[in-house]
Amino acid sequence: MNTATTTTTVPMSTTPARPWLTGVIIWALLLSAPIWLPMLGGYTALAGRVLVLGLAAMSFNLLLGFTGVMSFGHAAYFGLGAYGAGLTLKYLAASTPLAILGGVLLGGGLGTLFGLLISQRRGVYFAMVTVAFGQIAFYITYSWDSLTGGYDGLRGFARAPLNLGFTTIDITNNSTAFYYFLLIVFGVVTGLQALLLASPFGRTLVAIRENERRARFLGIPIERHIWMSFSISCCFTALAGAMYALLNNFADPMGLHYSLSGEIVIMTVMGGMRAFWGPLIGAALFVVLQDYISSMTVNWMSFVGMIFVLVVLFFPRGLLGMLQRGVGK
Amino acid sequence: MTTPTLPALRRRTLLKSGLAVTVLSAPPIVSARGETPVRIGMVNPLTGILSALAASEVEGARYAVERLNKKNGILGRQVELLVEDSANDVGTGVQKTRKLIERDKVDVIVGDVNSGIAYAMMGVTNELKVFHIVPGGHTDPITGVDCKWNTFRICNTTSMDAAAVTGELVRRFGKRFFFISPDYAYGQTLQNNFIRNLKALGGEFQAELLPINTSDFSATLIKAKAYKPNVLLNNMGGLAQINCMKQFTQFGMQKEMALGGALFELESVRAVPADAQAGTWAMEWWWDQPNVPEVVSYVADFRKATGKTPSARHWFALVAIESVRLAAEKAKTMDGPKMALALEGLELPPEVALSAGKAYYRAGDHQLMSDIFVGDMHPPKGNPDNVFTIGSIVTGEKAAGPVEATGCKMVHPA
Repeated sequence: MNTATTTTTVPMSTTPARPWLTGVIIWALLLSAPIWLPMLGGYTALAGRVLVLGLAAMSFNLLLGFTGVMSFGHAAYFGLGAYGAGLTLKYLAASTPLAILGGVLLGGGLGTLFGLLISQRRGVYFAMVTVAFGQIAFYITYSWDSLTGGYDGLRGFARAPLNLGFTTIDITNNSTAFYYFLLIVFGVVTGLQALLLASPFGRTLVAIRENERRARFLGIPIERHIWMSFSISCCFTALAGAMYALLNNFADPMGLHYSLSGEIVIMTVMGGMRAFWGPLIGAALFVVLQDYISSMTVNWMSFVGMIFVLVVLFFPRGLLGMLQRGVGK
Repeated sequence: MTTPTLPALRRRTLLKSGLAVTVLSAPPIVSARGETPVRIGMVNPLTGILSALAASEVEGARYAVERLNKKNGILGRQVELLVEDSANDVGTGVQKTRKLIERDKVDVIVGDVNSGIAYAMMGVTNELKVFHIVPGGHTDPITGVDCKWNTFRICNTTSMDAAAVTGELVRRFGKRFFFISPDYAYGQTLQNNFIRNLKALGGEFQAELLPINTSDFSATLIKAKAYKPNVLLNNMGGLAQINCMKQFTQFGMQKEMALGGALFELESVRAVPADAQAGTWAMEWWWDQPNVPEVVSYVADFRKATGKTPSARHWFALVAIESVRLAAEKAKTMDGPKMALALEGLELPPEVALSAGKAYYRAGDHQLMSDIFVGDMHPPKGNPDNVFTIGSIVTGEKAAGPVEATGCKMVHPA
């Protein structure tokens, strides 16, 4: 009996546990960040910045990592989200949820419309058109001084306390409360992204990424799926931008600039574009490196560049992809 | 024959090396010290087109901190200067300000050279109630319509600089101006103030607002040539102003029109060809004041310490650091609101004012009232830094006008 039991037991593979384990570690670190980060010389606003840029990179990765389409102009939707939130707070109402909605509507709405025009394009043509749109949005924001504040950015707004009816949470002056507010939004959005990727729609996107021609032969409307993926990615990126405006109480045109689009790509590739949490790891590395090294040398970007080159050469799956593979061995 | 092969860098080797570098470069854990230093956080664009001006401010601040620490610091505590690069980007400047306040717990924030960044930093320092000195960001609202109880400014407003020099330019060259200005807070307010002054004198103008980091001015200079102005006012800053000057001389335009404007700082003058070292400009401080013994002594000491002649930017930084000391000593505390009240109306001592006239912080708008030197730029005479001859001195009050005209309504915290 015992022998039979022993012989029929199959050793459990570590593979199914890995994504779950990664998620648990990441959430444990994020939830306890206000406790351990100051001990390591960090500060809560830095953790907030990691969350916001991580969310932007994860949203971008819906397109790059899971649909296989490269956009070099995603900063446009991030920046438009920031301006949407800032303009709502400044001119419409002092309401944080409304500001987030304003940001998503502006950035996501324009991204959806623009996506209709470009979903037929592929490869370098797709990437070039996204850069062009990004720069158009940048220059409009830069030039529309009376509305956007031009180069100096949009000031004169501040995130408002959250009124839940039975209580009010002060996210205006309490940085820890604001961090947890960011974390809740981050959790909801990443949860939605995970559900989306696990759904038949998400599987179809992966099928398009793997072999577009085969997916087309199977009767999948490719252009519509790419457009929807682009549109969802833009909405989530705009939401990240809105959170960025709330974090800084400020929005500026450099938030739409192509250099930020490049940084989002760097974060995604460094972290691992085939891993769900990869872009978050990339964003954390990028933001911490920028914060830490830029205090020591003005040439901090050279260090980020070197690390990027090393990651691409030695860990083509990105840091998280490499770590998950290492655990699986 | 064998092909030489390079030793392969393995992934594991790379990981081990990376770990070693991280451990070696990790910040040391600092244990609690008996006496906490006064921490001053400086945010300035150490990279980008304004980097030369920012580098001078940082150098001036380091010199001032060293000088202060030799004299027992501030309230008996040593002073520590923490410098962050805003990269001439507003978002980065805001982020670095938060970092200095929240992580490094600085008592005072100083910065930024870029008006737009200084303006945005005010939002953070006011939100977090930290004493803030703007040494070199000129745009008017900082001590005008958006003035804050915690912010003091050392350099002039754009309206002060424009008021000081417009009349002189009209009197000497004529009433037809062509403006080249950067399209951000500083350039816009400066140009508007020049235009207001020029219109009051019955002048006419044409103007171009260009992106702050413009490097090619050929199209704009062709327009300027066609307009045939009496004076070309180059309001660009830092490297952009230098590039514009170089192209101006390459086009041979110095034979057709005069040069002038609000600021042509020593750092920029050194970098342009002799042909472009010309025109009538305003200097916010000048090192060559032989009749003021404090200036002579400061210049000699600064040259001994750094090997350089101090510019207006070095003086701004000196005043910023010394103002922290003066405010803290008068208030007997490093508490922001009390320091702000202490600095209001405070007159700088001669070894800080470094000018024949008096210099003080106006209580109504927190703007330093100091002398403005109007004169002519020229190629070096003997000393390579002797490129400016003072023609007249305009007092700060005269150039600034009344507080009411600035639009500032100062509100102190309860």
